[in-house]
Amino acid sequence: MSLQALQSEIERKAQEEASSILETARAEAEKIVAEANTKAASIRDERTKAIRREIDAKEKSELAIARMDQKGDLLRVKSGWTNRVYEEAEKRITKMAENAGREYNELLATLTLEAISKMNGSKFILETSPRDKEAFSKMLGTITERASKLKNNKVTLRLETLQTKTLGGVIVSTEDRVQYFNNTLEARLAVASRKVEGAIRQILFGTGETNE
Amino acid sequence: MSTDIKELQDLIAREKNAEEKVSKAKEEAQVILKQAREKAEVALGAIESDPAWEKLKQERNVEIARKKAEIEEEYKRKTSSLEKVAQQNLEKAIARLFEETLRGKL
Repeated sequence: MSLQALQSEIERKAQEEASSILETARAEAEKIVAEANTKAASIRDERTKAIRREIDAKEKSELAIARMDQKGDLLRVKSGWTNRVYEEAEKRITKMAENAGREYNELLATLTLEAISKMNGSKFILETSPRDKEAFSKMLGTITERASKLKNNKVTLRLETLQTKTLGGVIVSTEDRVQYFNNTLEARLAVASRKVEGAIRQILFGTGETNE
Repeated sequence: MSTDIKELQDLIAREKNAEEKVSKAKEEAQVILKQAREKAEVALGAIESDPAWEKLKQERNVEIARKKAEIEEEYKRKTSSLEKVAQQNLEKAIARLFEETLRGKL
């Protein structure tokens, strides 16, 4: 090989090696960037999914709480109306008892007879408010007569003043006080309230309570 | 100086140039790789501060607030309708309870 050829060979090989080095570096660089972009896209995708899941959960919980709060408020409104019915009924019952008219006196008799019909025995104590005691004393004979007919037996009634405050009505007990029947107006109102609670709500808010 | 020696010196100089060329190529390759690594770091680092997520969160928060307002509005309507119905039926309900309370059973 001539010297000139050797010189050319040296230059060619150097050029070839330099080109190869740069080519390899560029390929490696491309690979590094591409891998980074792929990894970034994958992380971004995962993070986006995680954020969406997080927000979905937040939405679900916040909306459930909001709905629950609103339902609670609506129930409180309903409860307010139901209480109003009870309060108003109590007022009317109190007023009726205070007026002590013929209708109320008949009610006292009915309440007494109802209590007697539920208990055994023939001697009973009627405990009532001082106001009602006065009314009872006027019709004790009639009530005793009706009670005797009801029991098919001679009935004896004794009037006593109820020591606790009451709207009206009567507590009937057997002479030995083993059995008693609380037929005071507040007791009846409490029982009636429980009994017709569903019906009251239906009357107030409509069939099926669709507003809930 | 004879012609042979001059040619040899020339050959050595060319050899040196060739080495420098390869060395430069290696340096340039290092720069290319360094730049690529920096670009990769930037690509990965940008994830942490992606504004798209903040935008997504804001949009969804607005949506949640809208849905909450809808629920409130829905229940406001229900309450209003319930109040109206209850007011209309109040007397009937009181009468029913009054009647049940005073109904004696013999």
